[in-house]
Amino acid sequence: MAMDVETLEDSRHHRYVLNMGPQHPSTHGVLRILLELEGEYAMELLPVLGYGHRCHEKIAEHKPVKSFMPNTARMDYLGALIYNHGYAHLLEKAAGVEVPERAEYIRVITSELNRIQSHLLWYGAYLLDLGAFTPIMYAFDDREHILDILEDVTGSRLTYCYFRVGGVSKDIDDKFVTSTRAFIKRLRSRFPMYEDLVNGNIILQKRLNDVGELTPQLCARYGVTGPLLRGTGVDYDMRRAEPYSIYPQFDFEIPTETKGDCMASFLVRFREMEQSLRIIEQALDGLPEGPVMAAKVPKKLKIPAGDYNASVEAPRGELSYYLVSDGSDVPYRLKVRTPSYSNLSVVPEMCQGMLLSDVVSAMGALDLVIPEIDR
Amino acid sequence: MDINQVKKQWQTLSTTIEDIDYAVSGHDYNICLERDKVRDFATLMLEEGFYLVDLMAVHVTPAIEVVYQFAHFETRCRVLARAFVDDNSEIATIADIYQGANWHEREARDLHGVVFVDHPYLFPLILAEEDVDLKPLLKKEGTLKDIDAVRRKPPEPAPEPKTKVKPEGAEAKPEAAKSQEQS
Repeated sequence: MAMDVETLEDSRHHRYVLNMGPQHPSTHGVLRILLELEGEYAMELLPVLGYGHRCHEKIAEHKPVKSFMPNTARMDYLGALIYNHGYAHLLEKAAGVEVPERAEYIRVITSELNRIQSHLLWYGAYLLDLGAFTPIMYAFDDREHILDILEDVTGSRLTYCYFRVGGVSKDIDDKFVTSTRAFIKRLRSRFPMYEDLVNGNIILQKRLNDVGELTPQLCARYGVTGPLLRGTGVDYDMRRAEPYSIYPQFDFEIPTETKGDCMASFLVRFREMEQSLRIIEQALDGLPEGPVMAAKVPKKLKIPAGDYNASVEAPRGELSYYLVSDGSDVPYRLKVRTPSYSNLSVVPEMCQGMLLSDVVSAMGALDLVIPEIDR
Repeated sequence: MDINQVKKQWQTLSTTIEDIDYAVSGHDYNICLERDKVRDFATLMLEEGFYLVDLMAVHVTPAIEVVYQFAHFETRCRVLARAFVDDNSEIATIADIYQGANWHEREARDLHGVVFVDHPYLFPLILAEEDVDLKPLLKKEGTLKDIDAVRRKPPEPAPEPKTKVKPEGAEAKPEAAKSQEQS
């Protein structure tokens, strides 16, 4: 017979603690959440981090600024090029390096491909968390095309180190342009299929609607950004709010939803892929000729004393690099503000009192990448 | 949000407010706070709709500096606020005002040993429990710099015409070439 919890004087005596992770599949990495459960309801949640801490900020203080570029890719393995972009942007701003226009175009094209790739992986993995096995096969099929395209030009498939201070390491060729155009066509033709297969599914609706609701005020208190924030109706995107690179030249929308629940951020991410395709298409059309690397970049890049900040829109939200320089070529302090760190910190408040199965829905909607949280 | 109105309120709390060039530094305002004004400042920022971008510590002399970064969802207004910790490395927490600061403060406690007074749960977050006294980002003797060494210098006056400094310029050339080696 089930225990009637309500009749007990203090139901706390009947709570128990369960470790979710560090090896749980739906935490997508080594993250542990201490759940205090009452039956199937999560009454208290305490995320435990740091399993994958690799001291990136300490490493940054021990080597020349330029050599930190590969480390940026190891933080967010899904948005490596965008992390490259933010760091290159920071140093170019601080040292006053001009970037050739063609290089900026290539950066935007590859960054947006990287963003789509990240969203596709999230799409497949999130639905897998929710029990739908098939979509990940389709999503990975599409994602594979992006990896092939980027592998040809960057030389790696995941942890890219393609951008340099002053440009990119290698020019793109005709093959890149042709295959990217073919990919745009392909992914566009697949969107209706994704929508038919998944978005209208009644199980998905039941799992996502009204689960994990956020408000703009809550987002401000926790510093939540990215698709989660845009799901609450705030059209805050770094590419528009603090334009960097050549984004102001392109015509694209910032998808928003109003409800702020898991379904809202799900739809926002889904529509963002279409907007990224639009940006890539425009960039390919307007791709200028010219060099891809600034002519004069000092080997020893000295950053004038002072502090600098550069923010870009990563797939999960606002990524900021904050550099304190003492005038040498080694940073005095480098702080990386990663979006998942702030996004995850909202979990104890967002998921309190939720069903355990809804906790999985809500955590998946955060699109967590644990290495960028632990750094 | 009316920025002039907000600025007036900042003035009642802060020692200096500096307008800085966004194109160079990535910030619009640089604000130096007294240690005991940090909580009032955070409350004000929350009321004005700012969100907490980041919170971190920087080890300089005379004391560890805690740096708060705020930005706004509606208009571009990036604010950098800073305050020094006291002799016991203590400063008031803002985790009850901006709940997102909870983790940032725990991280600063791990990496720099800053103690946030009245923090709800100042337990190691990024580092393991046994590394609680490690404080890996504290600078060692010799690498620790003064606060003025990491502050932005006012722009230097434009160099004089080349013809005038020719003899000096010839001397300085090898050194300049060394530091600006072309790639």
